Amino acid sequence: MQLTGLYWGHKLLKYVDFPCADVLGPDASAGEIKDLLERHKQIFIKPIFKGGVGKKGKMGLLGRVDSVEDALREKERLFFIEHISENNVAKAEGVTYESAIPAEHEIYFSISDNTRFRAPTITITHHGGMDIEELPADKLKVIPFDPLTGFKGFIVSNALRELEAPQELISPLVQHLPKLWDLYHNYGMTMLELNPIRMMPQNKRLVPVACDFKCSFDRDDPNWMRLGIPNSAFASDYSEFEQEINQLRTYQGQSDVFVINDKGTITPMTFGGGANALVSDLLSDRATISSDFGGNPPYEKMKQVADICYKYWLPQSNVLFIIGGKANNTDIFETFRAMGDGLRSFITKNGPQPLFVVVGRGGPNLVRGMAYLRDTLEDLRIPYRFFGHDSAMSEIVNYAKDVDDWMKKEGVRPMMLKARG
Amino acid sequence: MHKRGSESFSKYFVGIDSLEEIATKEDRICVLNILGNESRGVTPTSHAFSGGNVVFGTMPGRSGQVLETPAGNVPVYNNVPEGLAAGHAFNTAVIYLPPSGVRDAVAEVARSNPELKKIVILTEKVPVKDARIIRAIGQMYGLDIFGANALGVADSHNKVRIGGALGGTHPEESLIPGSVAIYSNSGNFTTTIAFYLLSKGWGTTTSISSGKDIYIHFSAPEFVNAMENDKRTKAGVMYIEPGGYYESALKFNKPVVTCIVGRWKKRLSKAVGHAGSLAGSGDDALAKEKWFMNYFGVDNIFTPEKPVYSKKGAVVINIAHIPEALNLVMEANGVKPDFTPKGDLSKKAWFGNNMGVELPPELDVPVVNAIEPYSEQIETVNKQVGATFPRRNMKDASGASRMDPKTQVTQVHNISVLDATRYTLEKNLVMSLIREYPTNEGAKLAGIILNAMMNQHGQPALAAAEAARAAKSSPNSVLSAAAAIVGPATVDKSRKAADTLRELFQHKNITDPINSGFDFSEQLSQTDASVFIQSEPDALASHIANAVANSGIKSVFVDFVLELARTGGGHATTDALLGAITTTLAWAPFMRKRVSVITINNLPWHFKVCATLVGVAAPAAKHGAGSFLDLDIGEMISGMSFGETAYTALIGRRPTQEELDDFNIILGLVISNGPGTISAQGAKGAVSADGPEDPFRVQINKGYIGFLTHTGFAHGGNGYEAIAFLLDRFKDSGLKDPGDEHHGLNLEEIATKYAEEYRLYKDRQKEVGNITYAKIPCVNHPVFKGQPVNHDPREVFVRDLFKNRGSYNVFLEFYHNLVEAMFKAGVSKNVYCVNVDAVIAVIILKLLWEPYNRGEIKDNELESIAFTVFLFGRILGTAAEIEDHINRGRNMDTRTAASKCEYVE
Repeated sequence: MQLTGLYWGHKLLKYVDFPCADVLGPDASAGEIKDLLERHKQIFIKPIFKGGVGKKGKMGLLGRVDSVEDALREKERLFFIEHISENNVAKAEGVTYESAIPAEHEIYFSISDNTRFRAPTITITHHGGMDIEELPADKLKVIPFDPLTGFKGFIVSNALRELEAPQELISPLVQHLPKLWDLYHNYGMTMLELNPIRMMPQNKRLVPVACDFKCSFDRDDPNWMRLGIPNSAFASDYSEFEQEINQLRTYQGQSDVFVINDKGTITPMTFGGGANALVSDLLSDRATISSDFGGNPPYEKMKQVADICYKYWLPQSNVLFIIGGKANNTDIFETFRAMGDGLRSFITKNGPQPLFVVVGRGGPNLVRGMAYLRDTLEDLRIPYRFFGHDSAMSEIVNYAKDVDDWMKKEGVRPMMLKARG
Repeated sequence: MHKRGSESFSKYFVGIDSLEEIATKEDRICVLNILGNESRGVTPTSHAFSGGNVVFGTMPGRSGQVLETPAGNVPVYNNVPEGLAAGHAFNTAVIYLPPSGVRDAVAEVARSNPELKKIVILTEKVPVKDARIIRAIGQMYGLDIFGANALGVADSHNKVRIGGALGGTHPEESLIPGSVAIYSNSGNFTTTIAFYLLSKGWGTTTSISSGKDIYIHFSAPEFVNAMENDKRTKAGVMYIEPGGYYESALKFNKPVVTCIVGRWKKRLSKAVGHAGSLAGSGDDALAKEKWFMNYFGVDNIFTPEKPVYSKKGAVVINIAHIPEALNLVMEANGVKPDFTPKGDLSKKAWFGNNMGVELPPELDVPVVNAIEPYSEQIETVNKQVGATFPRRNMKDASGASRMDPKTQVTQVHNISVLDATRYTLEKNLVMSLIREYPTNEGAKLAGIILNAMMNQHGQPALAAAEAARAAKSSPNSVLSAAAAIVGPATVDKSRKAADTLRELFQHKNITDPINSGFDFSEQLSQTDASVFIQSEPDALASHIANAVANSGIKSVFVDFVLELARTGGGHATTDALLGAITTTLAWAPFMRKRVSVITINNLPWHFKVCATLVGVAAPAAKHGAGSFLDLDIGEMISGMSFGETAYTALIGRRPTQEELDDFNIILGLVISNGPGTISAQGAKGAVSADGPEDPFRVQINKGYIGFLTHTGFAHGGNGYEAIAFLLDRFKDSGLKDPGDEHHGLNLEEIATKYAEEYRLYKDRQKEVGNITYAKIPCVNHPVFKGQPVNHDPREVFVRDLFKNRGSYNVFLEFYHNLVEAMFKAGVSKNVYCVNVDAVIAVIILKLLWEPYNRGEIKDNELESIAFTVFLFGRILGTAAEIEDHINRGRNMDTRTAASKCEYVE
């Protein structure tokens, strides 16, 4: 759950009274743009992407204008522009108009939880405005601090002195940066980055003004909801399937599920984070989804999860693959009963279809669970193989792949359907 | 600021210096939220496995309660201070709270117990914000914290596990003492790896499920330090996922095999399960592989095909390769396995079935015996027969019927009532009970036994029905009176017969007992013959046996009973044959686990009640000593279908094929309207009140009474009002044959005339302010409305069925004329639909028009017959609901919570 850009950033910064460039949203009228230009002489036009999309400047996805006409021309260019990075394509949904902030100094600042220190940690440099990864280590400071006392001004002061930052930067940053801890700590963030903060001269002092914004929220912390950000701001992070199924996400039984390949032919119902990592590695693009349903989900929840997974993915799947290690606590009977009942509902509703079920599992109530699923599959006339936890998980994955390969051959799926009668 | 702990760590606090200290015999545990769902299942096993190390638990508001465990009860207090005040001392806290409560629990337990040394947090999805505070509290108070999102720690040597469920419900299977320590980011893999190691003869010392949140409090550096200082541990196994720099600066002296999984995760922008496994470029799987390859001085990943390892260790990317890699690394160190290898990791199918699909040989993996104790369990489940339905609250819920709110078409066992109109009465009845249609042979057997049960000559059920009829009770009350007589004592013997047959044959691989030719000579000698035969002849049983013989159908169970009689020198009883035939019908779905043992036992009762209810619809005069409906009983049983007999009992004459088809249409249409209908609610309430959790005490006949008392004159489905309406229109019309389309009547004119009259009537009533003016029955529908021309798809289905059969019904055609005329006369804003209730009325009126015209049937009799036909049809759906509720329901589950009830002044 990420947000980038000032469209949401300026609203969030307002919560802690951190100075920010003036921002108009995509609905801004020509009059409002003109007014912004009159006040600031120059403005930036930036496309709005949902979720986390960075490096817009480098990609040329940024307009810098000083007239309304140019602003409108840039708006037309950038309003629906595509951002392509590696295999990901994001489409813009509007633009922001942001005031240009004249400044001599640009600051990079971020807060995140750093696993090297196992503490919240700031990263700061007065050589901002560039990729932080490109900066030599001696030009930035990475400083952990105690979350019980919080992020205080002296940490900023010490860091900047050690960096030998210009004197005039220190006081304004000591005054304003600690406000960001409130936003970070109390609204469920796991990362907050302002780059650049431009030091704007004002009344003989410098004022730090945020000119770009990036943050990540912790999905497990409901505090972000207090910020009034609609779910739709993150919507492009999730497919329709992911949105539907992740509504069931609670601490009682995981339901973390994401689409791997919407053309995949094996639908893995994976139990456990470890199994998820292993199975995803081994199945790769054959898998429709990546899932972890461990954590002992109750029947009702597992049934709902199975219903949604089956609805989206079974019609195209050759193999329904139920896989996990030797469960410690997940009740195999309850989870298998739910997945079996889900399969029965699916076949009842959609009619028979060629499918092979491969299971690899161990844990409490294993045999009862397997027996229930066996009875269901035999009643539905679906072929299957169940392996216990004494078979190597990777061997079972390979078996599922072999079945998938065979079912991809011409005529096999129709033959299976015919055999079902 | 942090407390001073192990000297190996100067920058932060770590208390534990050796793995031996992690889970000791001396540790005493307090479990927070001990009675929560998760803990209730896990703590008793941990407590018993560890020799009783949990001193108390907490749960707000539950002080004074206990958690029962095999090692004795664990007391519960409202909070930690209360438990401490009661004199319990502990050094380790285990936290099972929901995520929002974890941080505060850590604070509470740290503040209130100065003796606290360790905390194990099982909870998943603890917010990062809370995790950073928890870390700080741990540092301030000098605590070692395991988790969160972990499964705790275990020590195989000490036979202690703390926290979660490492080793599951049988920790002794995986936690075998040995010389290998396990550290795993995955709780599941902690146990799975321990199990895999057994295959090469390696046992474990201490196992740590670290969790894989962003904050891992007791992490890789702490594990490695403790491992180095643990004399028992000769080697380590680490399972590591991408994300985090915990493993970036480790120093090993003992050999280690590390499994790093998650190369693929680099492509993921969202965490799945393990919140901390999202990696940047410097801490992804490939980076971590490199870190460990550098530690071990190897240049590649270990695989069985290309075993790259050193004395220091090996890196694998598949957990199945860990045991082999460990073997080779330890061999290089001159260390032998702890014990003889147990089992192997090759592919072994415990269950499998190709279901008729021809698999290539390499995929046709044979099913093998599972390891103990699973093979014994599999043997036991393989002996289990029949379905077992999970019990739940079945108020307003059904596993038998459901109505599609859009089409208003109900399905019973996934069969649409529209399709049910094409099947006979006996087929629909059997389907309702065994969840699928019987074969034609099965239907014939069902017809024979149902016909045999109908004649109530000399029986109290008939007397009861007659008495109710004489008192002018409604048809449903009449049938209720009879149903009350068919109590458990009347079916004891037939149920016993059914049960005995099941026990004798359930493991004999008979998939279908009809025409299977099974040799039952062994069973003949095994059974108590008195269950099936008696010394005196049973005339009715002879008729049934003859009818079965005449049909040419062979049933293993019927043949068994008859052979038992022949060889035992006695006579088969009617009860035995009832049990034999119902068991024959249910057997195939029973073997396929579609129906339960309970249903096998209940079927004779259902059959007896249903046949009685249909039988008593005929007046007493039609029940004779050797005859029924003026037919010889033997001929009737042999020669008529149950549908024909039911028709004859009700209408008083045998039907033509067209009349029987029409009759089946009505019966099919009214089988069910889903579990929400008042009739279904009556039946379900009756079952619920008897307590289906003890299914054999549920009085099935009372279930039918519940249904019958919940039907009445207002039931639209009985066609009662529509018949009266049609009689008014056609009584004096001179109509002779409603099935002849050349009837000579001008339907349009009759309809227009009535629509005009109705419009005037309606206007007049509105003028005087009467809004409850009489409505025309069977037109319009709350769902099928609002279009220029409206149709009820169920009525359309039947009308098409008539058309395809070349069958004509003047009354139905009149209804269609009427809805058009109403629109033209301005009575309706659009053309109303003719709804499905009209179908019942028009069919019944057509069937009875001639005797009615001749004055042989009076108006009230007509109404009574219409009502009874509705009851006949609904009996089928009721049978399905009763049986379903007995199998799935809970005691008293149909009651409504007081909070949802209203008091009305």
